[in-house]
Amino acid sequence: MSHHPGKSLTRIAALAGLTVRDAVRSRLLISLGAILIIGLIGLPLLISGDNTLTGRLQVILNYTLSFAVTMLSIVTLWTACGGVSSEIQDRRLYLILTKPVHRHELWLGKWLGIVALNALLLTLTGFIIGVMTWHTLFTSPESETVKRQAREQFLLARQSRLPESPISAQQAQASAAAIVKSGHAPAGMDAEQVATELMKELKSARFVIAPTGSIHFTTLITSPLSGNNDGLLNYKIESSRPERTSIPALWEIQAAEGKVFHLAVTNYPGIPNRLLIPGSVIQGSQSLTLSYHRLDNLSQATLFMAQNGKEPELLIPSGSWAMNLNRGLLMILCRLAFLSALGLTAGCLLSTPVAVFVAFFMMVLLAMSGYVESVATSGAFYIPHEGPALSRTWLDEVILSQFKGLNMLTQPLLRLDPVPLLEEGRRISWLLTAQAVAWFVGLYTAVTALIGIILFNRRELG
Amino acid sequence: MNDEELVIEARDLTKVFRDFWGRPKVRAVNGINLDVRRGEIFGLLGPNGSGKSTTIKMILGLLHPTSGQLSVLGQSPRAVSVKSRMGFMPEESYLYKYLTADEILNFYANLYGMSGCHKTERVNTLIEQMGLSKARDRRVGEFSKGMARRIGLAQALLNDPDLILLDEPTSGLDPIACREVKDLLLALARQGKTILICSHHLSDMQDICSRVAILLQGEVCATGSVQELLATPDTLKLTLKAPSQTTLTEVLDLLERETGTRPQVDHTGRTLESVYIETVSQRKSAT
Repeated sequence: MSHHPGKSLTRIAALAGLTVRDAVRSRLLISLGAILIIGLIGLPLLISGDNTLTGRLQVILNYTLSFAVTMLSIVTLWTACGGVSSEIQDRRLYLILTKPVHRHELWLGKWLGIVALNALLLTLTGFIIGVMTWHTLFTSPESETVKRQAREQFLLARQSRLPESPISAQQAQASAAAIVKSGHAPAGMDAEQVATELMKELKSARFVIAPTGSIHFTTLITSPLSGNNDGLLNYKIESSRPERTSIPALWEIQAAEGKVFHLAVTNYPGIPNRLLIPGSVIQGSQSLTLSYHRLDNLSQATLFMAQNGKEPELLIPSGSWAMNLNRGLLMILCRLAFLSALGLTAGCLLSTPVAVFVAFFMMVLLAMSGYVESVATSGAFYIPHEGPALSRTWLDEVILSQFKGLNMLTQPLLRLDPVPLLEEGRRISWLLTAQAVAWFVGLYTAVTALIGIILFNRRELG
Repeated sequence: MNDEELVIEARDLTKVFRDFWGRPKVRAVNGINLDVRRGEIFGLLGPNGSGKSTTIKMILGLLHPTSGQLSVLGQSPRAVSVKSRMGFMPEESYLYKYLTADEILNFYANLYGMSGCHKTERVNTLIEQMGLSKARDRRVGEFSKGMARRIGLAQALLNDPDLILLDEPTSGLDPIACREVKDLLLALARQGKTILICSHHLSDMQDICSRVAILLQGEVCATGSVQELLATPDTLKLTLKAPSQTTLTEVLDLLERETGTRPQVDHTGRTLESVYIETVSQRKSAT
């Protein structure tokens, strides 16, 4: 009876339904919905930004999504931890486990219930953000031109295009191997590290601009723009001198088909710049050649446009904002599904307060994935030390190796975080979404579930 | 399955609870032997902490024996398949208070893999049998203790189980409901169901149990049929229609000469339970 797949699905569905019904009847869902609505609507009212239409839209997209993700993450962990452990404590689970219910069915049913609740709340989040964005855009007192520019900037998903590299990875590796072989490589660096440094140096060297000088680079557009939407150019310049004087310059953007666009700009070192490039120039083009001409002849400062490896970036319109938001929300749902698994597994093994503590500790570790990555790659726990390298103790080595191990686990969390992409209006591809499903649900959740179910099967309920 | 078939068989069953470091802390059940046969109502008696609940939890597969053998319906109690033939009503109402009676039974029926008309019929029958027809759409959290016990019993009978484990089944019930539950359990036993009851209500246990075991400090102190345990050796109790005073005196004299002590004569007493049920039933039928 209990091994019949259809009956197994009935049991899992019943347990998932019970979890959702519990949240509805205990008013958890309605309370969370109310907090979400108040937070999502209230935050943009509290944070006014620069009070321009662009500023208001920026606040809606940046703060509301981060708020919703943070709140849902905490609630998910809390609900998942209590989903099993509190039912063990008040013994309601005893009655379920005296029925022909496998413990993996119980785990799966609870998990599906929490994921369904998250899906409901994320749908509400997406709906509110959508309504607020459209409402802000269409009821704004600004001129039609400003509104059109805002729509161009915010209601499109854009794909990133970087300048063509002056050297291919294979060429860099071949050169690096030759340098290492000739014995000119810096001490302690292998061919791979030399190749990375070489690429970085060459990229930086391309974007050095002398007074009255110019730079040119080409960007390929692999998927030509179908509509007439504007592109965006993000760039930042740094100066060799401490004075922050303005730099007058001229951008010349030429399509392969001969269309040219000129724009005079004034840049300040250290300040990010964003230019709108008319869709008429990009439309139908396979590549763009971009030139930056310095017009000043007074400043002696040398300018760098690729400081710390951040090259100018062209953002090409590539799909609707609404679909992009949906894909982003799906990626967030995958992360929340993993957090649910984490909380449930902790709740299956530990009492409620201990499970909550352990699960939140894990969440903090995951949230620190950026710091973990910087420690794992730089080898420095705090601020990178300048000057002669400090010798590491055995304890440093042990901790560093743990950070490296943790970094391997948390890398996908950084790479597959849709929030910064949505905030910057970058396109979230279906491939990236599928990767999030594969990593968070197919791997992380599956492994966490396996551990949780095996240990829960061994647990006695006395 | 014949009547002599053992539904629960425990041999030298022991359960030791350990502390965090794995050191033995409490020996809750200490080498008990237990045989429960098909169709009997078996009572598990004993003071608090005697090991009754631990034994029940091992039979339910929630706890694992430290040593010894335990077989339930011919299988290990940890096997999930055996649970489809068992029903359990716990002492406390461990039900979801935000669900209605109807929803509770449907939920547990789903866990048994029941569906369609069969599920609906079974739920309706049990709701009616437990006298909860008018309360089927009320949340269990609003139920009186007696009603909660009845819905608890209903969920234990959903799958028409071969083995029914009941922890304090009559606790919180009024005498009429209590009588109804006892009659129901006797009827189930007549149908061949095996019932294991754990209770402190000794009069109820005496009424319905065919055999009992008394546990103390994790060990079985006494076991056997209720009649055997209640019988006083060399003592008889006669119940007869009252004869004339002359005949009674002659019989008593004869018995006194034979046994050396004069027999005690008293009117057959009715139990308070039978008086209560008769009175309330008469009043209800009159109104």
